[in-house]
Amino acid sequence: MMNSLTSIWAEARSNPLLLVLWLAVAALAAYVFVNGGYLMAVLQFACIYVVFVAGLNLFMGFTGQVSFGHNAFAAISGYTSAVLTATYGWDPVPAAVLGIGGALACALIVGYPVLRLRGHYLAMATLAIGLIAYEVAVQWDSVTQGYMGISGIAPLGVGRWTITSDRGILIFLIVVALLSLLMVRGIRRSRLGRSFVAVAGSEDAARALGIDVARTKLLAFLISAGYAAVAGSLFVHAVGFVSPEVFGLHMVVLAFTMLYVGGIGTIVGPVFGAVIVALLPETFRGFKEYQDLAYGAALVLILIYTPRGLVSLPDLWRRRKAAQKTDVQQTSARQGGAA
Amino acid sequence: MSLLRLDHVSRRFGGLVATDDVSLEIPGQGISAVIGPNGAGKTTLFNVISGFLAPSAGKVIFDGQDITGRPPEAIARLGLVRTFQLVQLFDDLTVLENVKVGFHMQTQGGLLSALLPGLASRHEEQMVEERARDLLRQTGLADQAGTMAAVLPYGKKRLLEITRALAAKPKLLLLDEPAAGLNKQETEALAALLRGIAAAGTAILLIEHDMSLVMSVTDQIAVLDFGRLIARGTPDEVRANKDVIAAYLGTQSEAAHA
Amino acid sequence: MLDLVAQSILSGIGVGCIYGLIGIGFCVIYNASGIVNFAQGAFVMMGGMVTYTAFARYGLPLPLAAALAIVLVAFAGVVLERLVVRPLWNRGSTMFVMILATLAAQIVIERLALLAAGDQPRTLPVFTDRPPLRILGLAVNFQFLWIVACSLLVIVLLALFFSSTKTGKAMRACSINRDAAALQGIPVSRMLALAFALSAALGAFAGILITPTQYTAFNVGVPFAISGFIAAIVGGFGRPLGAFTGGILLGVAQALAIVFLGSAFKNVAALSILLLFLFVRPTGLLGPAK
Repeated sequence: MMNSLTSIWAEARSNPLLLVLWLAVAALAAYVFVNGGYLMAVLQFACIYVVFVAGLNLFMGFTGQVSFGHNAFAAISGYTSAVLTATYGWDPVPAAVLGIGGALACALIVGYPVLRLRGHYLAMATLAIGLIAYEVAVQWDSVTQGYMGISGIAPLGVGRWTITSDRGILIFLIVVALLSLLMVRGIRRSRLGRSFVAVAGSEDAARALGIDVARTKLLAFLISAGYAAVAGSLFVHAVGFVSPEVFGLHMVVLAFTMLYVGGIGTIVGPVFGAVIVALLPETFRGFKEYQDLAYGAALVLILIYTPRGLVSLPDLWRRRKAAQKTDVQQTSARQGGAA
Repeated sequence: MSLLRLDHVSRRFGGLVATDDVSLEIPGQGISAVIGPNGAGKTTLFNVISGFLAPSAGKVIFDGQDITGRPPEAIARLGLVRTFQLVQLFDDLTVLENVKVGFHMQTQGGLLSALLPGLASRHEEQMVEERARDLLRQTGLADQAGTMAAVLPYGKKRLLEITRALAAKPKLLLLDEPAAGLNKQETEALAALLRGIAAAGTAILLIEHDMSLVMSVTDQIAVLDFGRLIARGTPDEVRANKDVIAAYLGTQSEAAHA
Repeated sequence: MLDLVAQSILSGIGVGCIYGLIGIGFCVIYNASGIVNFAQGAFVMMGGMVTYTAFARYGLPLPLAAALAIVLVAFAGVVLERLVVRPLWNRGSTMFVMILATLAAQIVIERLALLAAGDQPRTLPVFTDRPPLRILGLAVNFQFLWIVACSLLVIVLLALFFSSTKTGKAMRACSINRDAAALQGIPVSRMLALAFALSAALGAFAGILITPTQYTAFNVGVPFAISGFIAAIVGGFGRPLGAFTGGILLGVAQALAIVFLGSAFKNVAALSILLLFLFVRPTGLLGPAK
C-alpha cells in the first residue's frame, strides 16, 4: 500500500497537470469535509461514479470494447440491495453481496453472446441490455414500485454499526473509490492487464501469442460489471432512495462524459472526470433541465477537441512532438529503402 | 525429421484457389522460406498454418500433432508463433510491455495475482521483466524500452514484433515479410538477427519478397505460383530452376525490384 | 380473440411502416458513410413537434406545416452533419466515438426541444377525419391508409431517386466504394451532407405520419430510433427494402406482444427481438448487406 502510494506520487510529479488536479481534488475534499453543505452530496456522488467509471474504463479504455449497457449491472445490484433491505429488512452487507453476485451472474450469461459482436452491433446490443433493465425497473412495479421508486433503504453498515453522518459516508466512499482505483492500477500493470490492452491493440497479434481473446474480453467485461454493481449498491445505500431514472440512459451518458473528460484508458482519469462533471451541474443550479443539455454538449465538444481527455493533455503535447520526429525518420527511412 | 508438415493443403475462396494442394516439410532447425510472385498464395498459406484460416482440404501437422483447424491461440501454445505482414503491435503498451505480453504463455498470473501483486506473482513479474529486457538488448531495442510502441520508427516496429514473438519461445517462428519497408542497413541487421535466432536453435519459416535476404539467409526454399508448389531446394537449386525463372519472368518488374 | 389479433396485426403494420421509414433513414446514412447515426430519433421527434408548432401555434394549414417541418428537419440534419459528424469524420474517429457523439447530439436536441416546447405531449389531427372503413369485419381508419400509402410512395420515390437520378447514382457509388467514387469525381463529402438531409427528411416524415395516431413529445426520439434500428438489423443492415420489411415485422410482433403479454412489456419485447437477432442472425433475415 505504502509502496503504491509513493509510486503514485512519483507519477504525479512527472505530470504537473496531474499534480495540480490531485491537489485540487484533495483541497476540495478537505474543504467539503470541514464545511459540509451541498457540495457534500456532489462529492459523494462523484466518488460513487469514480467506481462505476473506473470499471467502464477497464472494459472500454484498456480492452477497447464498447458498452452502453453497464447501467444494467448497477441497476441489478442497486435494486437487489434496495428491495432486500427496504422490503425484507435484510442487513445491507448480505443484500449488497447478493446484488453484486446477481449482477455478475447476469453479466456472465449475457457476456458470452454479446462479446462475440463487434462495432455498432456490440454498441446496440449493450444499449438494449441497459434499456431492458430500465424497462423492467419501470414495469415490474410489484417489486420495484415503478416510477415511484423505493425509499427507506438501509444505510451502509454492519449490524448495529452504521454510517449515517454525511462526513462518515464521504470518508467511506473516498476509501472505496481509492481502493477501486488502486485495483485498476494493479490490474493494468499485471499480466492480465497487459493482455487487456493487447486485445485492444490487435486481436490477431494477441491470439498469435497464445492469448484466448474471447476469454480475456469476458473477464474484462465481468470485472467492469462488478465495478458497476458495486457502484449501484453504494448509491442506493448512501442515498437511501432508488428509482428507475437513477440507472437509466442518463447514467450511461454521464459516465461516458466523465470517462472522456478524465481521459479514457488512463488510470486516474476517472477521478478527475467524475469530480469535474459532478461539479458541472452545480454551475447550473436551479436550472435542472439544463443538466443533460450541458452533459451532452460537453461530451460532443470533448469528443471533437480533446478525444483523449484532460489528463492526457500534456502527454498529447509530448506525443505530438515525438510523432513529428518519427514522421521525419520514417520518411527518410522509406526514401533510404527505395534508393 | 520435420517439425511442420503440410499434407495436400488447399484453401479456396469461392471459386478462387489461393492454396492448391501444397505438401511441404519444414525442418526443426535452420531457416526456410516460401517465395513466389505477388498473389501466389503465400500469406494464405501462412494463415492456414497459424490457424487464422481453416484449410478447405488437407492436413497440417506440427510437432507430431494434427493442428488442422485449431484456433491460433491453441497453435501458438504448441510453439508455433507468427508475425504479420502489416506490423501488429499493441500501440497503447510500451516497447517493454509489448515484449512482456510475449511471455503470456509461460506465465500464470490471473485476476488474483493482479490484485495482490505482493504475493504469488511477484517472482514471476521480476522474471518476465528481466527476460524481456534481455531480449530487447539482444535485438537492440533496449534504449526504447519505455517508449510507446505506437511512436516507434517503422524499422524498429518490425524488430519489436520479432522480439515479442521470440519472447513466446517458439519452436518455429513464422515471419511474414519481415524485411518489407526496411532499408538496406536494416535488412542486413535483420539477416544477422535471423541467423542468430536460428543458431540459438529456433527454426524459422519466412515469406519474403526481398530476394537478397532470402538467398543470403535461408537453407531451404519453397516456391509457390498461383497457389501451387512449383519448386523446392537450396537457394542455388531454386535459382537454377527453370519453372521458377518462368514464374518470375511473368512478373519481371517484381523480379527486377527484388 | 381472433378479431382482436387481426386488428392488432393491422395496427402493427401501420406502426411498422413508420419503423421501416426510420430504419431506411439509418440505411441511407450508413450506406453513404459507414456511420450509424444514433440521433435518428431526434428527426422523428422534430418532425412531429415542428409540424405541431406551425399548425397549432401559427395556424398554417396542415400540409404546409408538414412540408415546412420536413424542410426544416432536413436542414437540421445538415447542421448535425456539419457541427458534429464532419469534424469527427475528418479526424478519422472510431465508429464508437461517432456513435457516442451522435447519441450525445440526440440528447442535446431532446433537451433543446424540452426547453423550447415544454414537456407536454402534443398531437396532430388525423389527416382525413372520417369514421373508419369496415373491411372484412376489421376497422381500417384513414390515418392507417395514409401511413401505408405515403410509406409506399416514399419507397417508390427513393428507389427512383437511387436508380435514375445522377445524384442518387452517385450516392450509391459511394456506398459501394467511397475511394473509387472519389476518384470518379463524385464529391463524397457533399454526399455525406446529402445523406443526412435525406435521412432527416425521412425521419421527419415518419414523425408527422405517426403523430396523429399517437402523440409526440421531447422524449419520443430514443424509442423510435431503437425501433428503427431493430428494423434495419432485422432487414440486414444497409438494405432499405429489408429495413422496411423488418419494420413491419417488428410492428406486428410488438402488437402481438401487447395482446398476449400486456402493454407493459412491449419495449422489452422489441429489445429482446433485437438481442435475439444480434445473437443468432446478425446479418438479418435476408442475409448480409451487399
